[in-house]
Amino acid sequence: MDKHIFIEPLARVEGHGGIEVYIENDMVKEVKFEIFEGPRLFEQLVVGKDPQEAVAIASRICAICFVSHTLAEIRAIERALDVKVGRKIHLLRKLAHYGEMIESHSLHYYLLALPDYFGYPDAIAMIRQFPDEVIGGLELKKFGNKVMEIVAGRRIHGENLQVGGIGKIPTDEELEWIKLRAMELIPTIERGIQFWNEVDVPDYLEEETIFISVWPEDGTYDFRADTIYVSTGETYAADDYQTALNERVVPHSFAKRCRYKGKPYSVGALARILNMRDRLDGLAADYFKKLYNERWHKNPHFNNIAQAIEILYCLEHIPKLVDEIKATPLEESTRGRDTGAGTGLVEAPRGLLIHHTEMENGRVKYADYLVPTAQNLDDAEKYMRNAVKNLLKQGVQDLELPLEMIARAYDPCISCSVHLVKVIKK
Amino acid sequence: MGKPKIGIYGLTGCAGDQLNILNCEDELLKLFDIFEIKSFVMASREKDENVQLDVAFVEGSVSTEKDLEELLAIRKKSKILVAIGHCAIYGGVQAMFRGGEEWIERYKRVYGRENAVTLSKPLEPKPLSAYVKVDAVLHGCPIEKEPFLKLAGKLAHGVIPRTPDYPVCAECRWKENECLLLKGQICLGPLTNAGCGAICPSLNIGCIGCWGPIREENWASEADLLVEKGYDIDEIVTRFSVFGGTERAQKLEQFLRSRKEKGNG
Ligand code: SF4
Ligand code: SF4
Repeated sequence: MDKHIFIEPLARVEGHGGIEVYIENDMVKEVKFEIFEGPRLFEQLVVGKDPQEAVAIASRICAICFVSHTLAEIRAIERALDVKVGRKIHLLRKLAHYGEMIESHSLHYYLLALPDYFGYPDAIAMIRQFPDEVIGGLELKKFGNKVMEIVAGRRIHGENLQVGGIGKIPTDEELEWIKLRAMELIPTIERGIQFWNEVDVPDYLEEETIFISVWPEDGTYDFRADTIYVSTGETYAADDYQTALNERVVPHSFAKRCRYKGKPYSVGALARILNMRDRLDGLAADYFKKLYNERWHKNPHFNNIAQAIEILYCLEHIPKLVDEIKATPLEESTRGRDTGAGTGLVEAPRGLLIHHTEMENGRVKYADYLVPTAQNLDDAEKYMRNAVKNLLKQGVQDLELPLEMIARAYDPCISCSVHLVKVIKK
Repeated sequence: MGKPKIGIYGLTGCAGDQLNILNCEDELLKLFDIFEIKSFVMASREKDENVQLDVAFVEGSVSTEKDLEELLAIRKKSKILVAIGHCAIYGGVQAMFRGGEEWIERYKRVYGRENAVTLSKPLEPKPLSAYVKVDAVLHGCPIEKEPFLKLAGKLAHGVIPRTPDYPVCAECRWKENECLLLKGQICLGPLTNAGCGAICPSLNIGCIGCWGPIREENWASEADLLVEKGYDIDEIVTRFSVFGGTERAQKLEQFLRSRKEKGNG
């Protein structure tokens, strides 16, 4: 049997992508995860700009993880210019980052991913059967948005987080509200995590892979660091990211691709939770232990539940974080130089995000961004190929949904992935 | 009359405007109730592209041939086409032309050569109005929730609303903010469309212009404000070009210089 499957546009993802599969004589000939989103050439747009402008532009790479892009750009510029900010600013940034994780993960877990497992076209259609889950998801999402609005200035592309500091510090009342609401929402996400037990996780794609994430130096489970960790045991300093992760252009995608030592790898919530599992604590650690098994290392569908556990982790840590923010005095920040280079590593909701920026006389001279989805594309194709191969063997004809579900499990952020483009330095 | 049929589409952008529609958590169910949503690919797998639409909301700039084909098809089947967000109205930051450098040169520097990606031909990013008639606009990067809901409500009754035609400064005054320009901080409020409620100046951060530039006819008094305060013209122009495009930035530069000369002379 020969067959050509073309799924386009891919629904319930952020941005414009598609999947194309060629089957010849019942054999998979080719599987392509295509990125149609047009090129925006961000690394060139920031050249000549000052820090505030560069951060605002970098934020526009992606709506759903603008805090991560903002923080990666800030980190890169602060390292380049030897800017030192006090602890209070770091803690506020962390709170904004938690807000983004909660918003992005709850949008994806509840509204974009779960409907597939229960045969619904979208979350609104799912609401009749699972009202608590859908409404719970919306409540969590709203809370994440509110945190970003308060700390980052807006729900999307807020400008409050700046190189060297912050525009306005949230009031004590706002911070207290965040703390109380986070505690209130813990049972909601617990229910959401338990709901995963209802999900029948497909196994026709399984294969071991490599997971890459940040490796926080202070030994905590966190979303920023200056070190990269590979599940095969190696670590790399942030500045050496190019040696570790190779990029290349393929004809069927405006996004460049990455490999680790020639092999595809995964980044994201699943990569983080597997790499840093010994660092989890509280209820998040309990649920992880209850749900974890060997299949997590072989199957991207578990990225969905890893996201749900991370929501719980963030909610559990917010009260302490808020107390600490309130107790920490604001310090003046300092700037050491006008010219230099720096790399900013953060975990975006979808995985490792790297901004490398070179500054000259206080303005950007060169930039290189490496985003999560582009790192995941090769691995996603690998799992899609496995799925097609095994499903054909089982005589399954309808391959569209299984393929879409794999793509969606990665929570692909297609707008981001297009900027995974590297400027060739002359 | 049945429910108005609408479609929500995204061309090349960051999906922020569509996301802010999804961010109407409290109103989302109602929205799905008032309108018959025929296509919203970011939210649902179910869609019907073969019906006539009362309103199409389109986000993003036209940046590939595929974007263009899609836009033409949407225009053809829609009574009212609304450009939502900076990318759709002005082309977005990706339409920021830089000092006369050809866009295709920039493209080649990134991808190696012109035809490295064969998927769909890339085009120089442009706003929707470069190719089709746009009936209404909703400013912002991204659009904000309340103005969107207001606009949607009016459109549901067949009214095409007008957008505000004054700068961010006006909103700053209503909020009784202390002017940042007076404090020596560069702010594009005078040259930027109102609508956001002066969010950034209220946070002590200079406006970076994300609601898009006000009409050129209204520049005069606003530009005088900047010249009067003695701001560096290059600095203003570099910042303005982030959300203003080069063509306008060049005009602004000439304009500011001529105002300055007049002022000194
Ligand atoms: S206008 Fe702004 S928010 Fe909307 S798609 Fe473009 S970059 Fe994103
Ligand atoms: S103040 Fe300016 S930069 Fe800030 S949101 Fe409003 S228009 Fe955008």
